[in-house]
Amino acid sequence: MGSHDILNKIREGYGTSITRADIPADNRLLVFVRPDSVKSLANYLFRDLDARYCVGIGIDDRPYSGDFLVVHDFAFDKGNVLFSLIVPVPASNPRIPCISDAIPGANWSEREMRDLVGITAEGCPNPKRLVLPDGWPENLHPLRKDVSWNHVPEDFDDTKTYPFDDPPPGTTVVPFGPFHPTLDEPSHFRLYVEGEFVRGCEYRGFMVHRGIEKLADSVMTYNEIPMLAERICGICGCVHSVTYAQAIEQAAAIQPTPRAEFIRTIMLEIERLHSHALWVGLASHILGFDTLFMQSFRIREPIMWLAEKITGNRKTYALCLIGGVRWDITPDLGTEIRQVLDQLEKEWKGIFDAVKGDRNIMARSKGIGVADKTLVKDFSLLGPVARAAGVNIDVRRDHPYAAYDKVEFSVITQGGGDVWSRIVVRVLEVFESIKIIRQCLEKMPEGPIQAEPTAELPAGRIGTSSVEAPRGEAHHFAITGEGNRPRRWRVRAPTYQNLQGIPAMIKDQRLADMTISLGSIDPCFSCTDRMEIVDLQTGKVRIWNQEEVLRSTLKVKRRRS
Amino acid sequence: MKGLLTAFFSSLINLILVLLVAPLFDGLTRKVTAVVQSRKGPPVTQSYMDLMKLLIKEDIEVGESPVMQRFSALLSFAAILSVALLIPMGTSAPLSGYADSILLIYLLTLAGISILLAGLAAGSTYSLVGMSREMMGMMTLEPLMAIAIILSATHVGSLRLDAVFGGAVYGGSHFFWSSILILGVVTFALQAFVGRMPFDVTEAETEIMEGPLVEYSGPKLALFKFTRMAKMFLYTALFLALFVPRIATGYYVVDLIVFLAEQAVLVLLVTVIAATHARYRIDQVVRYYVILFILALLALLLAVVE
Repeated sequence: MGSHDILNKIREGYGTSITRADIPADNRLLVFVRPDSVKSLANYLFRDLDARYCVGIGIDDRPYSGDFLVVHDFAFDKGNVLFSLIVPVPASNPRIPCISDAIPGANWSEREMRDLVGITAEGCPNPKRLVLPDGWPENLHPLRKDVSWNHVPEDFDDTKTYPFDDPPPGTTVVPFGPFHPTLDEPSHFRLYVEGEFVRGCEYRGFMVHRGIEKLADSVMTYNEIPMLAERICGICGCVHSVTYAQAIEQAAAIQPTPRAEFIRTIMLEIERLHSHALWVGLASHILGFDTLFMQSFRIREPIMWLAEKITGNRKTYALCLIGGVRWDITPDLGTEIRQVLDQLEKEWKGIFDAVKGDRNIMARSKGIGVADKTLVKDFSLLGPVARAAGVNIDVRRDHPYAAYDKVEFSVITQGGGDVWSRIVVRVLEVFESIKIIRQCLEKMPEGPIQAEPTAELPAGRIGTSSVEAPRGEAHHFAITGEGNRPRRWRVRAPTYQNLQGIPAMIKDQRLADMTISLGSIDPCFSCTDRMEIVDLQTGKVRIWNQEEVLRSTLKVKRRRS
Repeated sequence: MKGLLTAFFSSLINLILVLLVAPLFDGLTRKVTAVVQSRKGPPVTQSYMDLMKLLIKEDIEVGESPVMQRFSALLSFAAILSVALLIPMGTSAPLSGYADSILLIYLLTLAGISILLAGLAAGSTYSLVGMSREMMGMMTLEPLMAIAIILSATHVGSLRLDAVFGGAVYGGSHFFWSSILILGVVTFALQAFVGRMPFDVTEAETEIMEGPLVEYSGPKLALFKFTRMAKMFLYTALFLALFVPRIATGYYVVDLIVFLAEQAVLVLLVTVIAATHARYRIDQVVRYYVILFILALLALLLAVVE
């Protein structure tokens, strides 16, 4: 089903609500609709046409068109189409019907829209604050064009606390995070626990929100942003820089050179190799299996050295520019990559043999943190989490980018939907990545690594791009703009969707399984961005605010002196 | 009078052994684990340095009831040292003329209870979770060693330490099937007695952040850490005393070296198992203990019939 077929289908039922439709490329479709029909159309796309929900974007377009824009991105994985449902919202009354009662995975997007741009989704089932800190003033929306990037609100209220829901009767609150040995980054889950069982939870994150999108559309320039995008995530940085570059290239119709596309593919797969090795290590550590943790980190190390040889850095490769890449792969490097891959393949087989029959690991991971097909569909869960549930999606095959259409690989799926299946999927994907890199080295054409776009990039063009990160699809949306920078750039990291599925995955599970269930989605809080546990037996809830914590540390000091 | 002096000096020797060798065994454990994990690992003397550092660090008291927390740290240390006086190390147990096996069982349990107290007194959510796990484990695990001791007591018909440790299990008047069974049970439980992977659910750093010990620092933490090291030393010693014939060469030093070497073998075994397993969940752990407990009860029944 191509772009035209999709457009014809929705025209049948919604012809009168569509104000404009663009097909900028065979695999892209932009449809402008009136706000009143967005709910039923979104539902039609999601349920009847079986589109996957990507992300919702709020845009302050008042300086250009006079309106706010709301964009809901969908992906047709079987037809290779990325679909943008664009809804102009009048500046005088920035309201739009909510879609997250029908598409649960759109909830965070709608809450973020309200926080950052001030567009309210009417009827949103959980209209609480998502991104902004508790003390941030109510009517100040940082992503609006009339708020400067370095604005510091004077009426920031330190005493305000987050309005957590009441714990269900009979449960205790157990705070998980903001700091916990298994969380690498601050994030807070408030767990409602009954004995050893988790009955529910509430998430409060975004504690280290860095305002990257605002920086991009007000300070940085097109070719500086890939370096900023790379710093979104410490593990899959290259993914974000490539996704950004592809979104801009698609909007401005720039074709990166063929050699650059192969180099991008190689670096993305090298990143997946180190990420999967890292994840297997961390998951083993969470389960207390430190020997496997150490071994997989030992095996991972040569990949890091390899990345350093190619790009000068173990991580943050500074690889991508619009239209190409900055580092070439010389024949010497090619030989070395092959050697490292041979060694890795041999040692990873050892890991696979050790893991596949390990009843000890199975005892801890089978039937744990289950996300079935329904949950995957509802929350648009991505990557290994979806594939472990038997949902056969992989952006590399479904929406080919870079050189993925020129290499052969299989998409690994399992049926269990549990932590064990996710372990198997990730361990096996390493072999596929090795295969991809080898083919790339073989087929890579000679030529320049950078296309030199000379003309000014046209303003007001829309570009979307998806890249299969190690944790799932990273999706970027961009509108080109004036002054050598985009007007709006929205990043949707895979954890943004996967984290929304966590409450359902840990419900009625044991507290001891919480950490591995969370760990199994390979959460990246810096990509999105608090947990607290409630004891169901005493019903006692104690949350300390910043001031109380500060006071209590002073108390300890006083007692000592 | 001479008997009292002998008891005094051999007690002193046993205390020095526990205090000096337990951290060394811990260092050995860390070194071996490092080798299994392709790491260089800390020097074998690292555990001494860790303890000394903790002992001179400031003690930040953040729990619910500081007095109880201090008491529980001292209690665990005192209980574990008292156990050392009742277990033979190279020669017969120092206080064998002054105590019986009931006291030994009692002191072993006390060491576990001090951890419960520590968790309860700290009062944080995670230490309470750790405490409840320790309690679940204690109720099913601690009786195993008690049953093993009582079983040997029924073989010889005496609760005296000398008699219980004098080969009641292996060198009795005739062959006991119950001995084989209890040997199996205690062997499979050894890993759990010393609280190592896959049975370290009470502390489980990545789940409940060291559980009962999460609020402890400085000297108190040093005492708890030492208790953990001493447990490894004492339970292996107890295992040897119950199940392995003592080579009495007549020279104490030789006997002691043989004893320590045998212990080291057990420590290595425990370490390798710990390094190759993931942590079981508390319900899986308790199920494992319950099976062992039922087998131990069967052994006890068998011993009464035999």
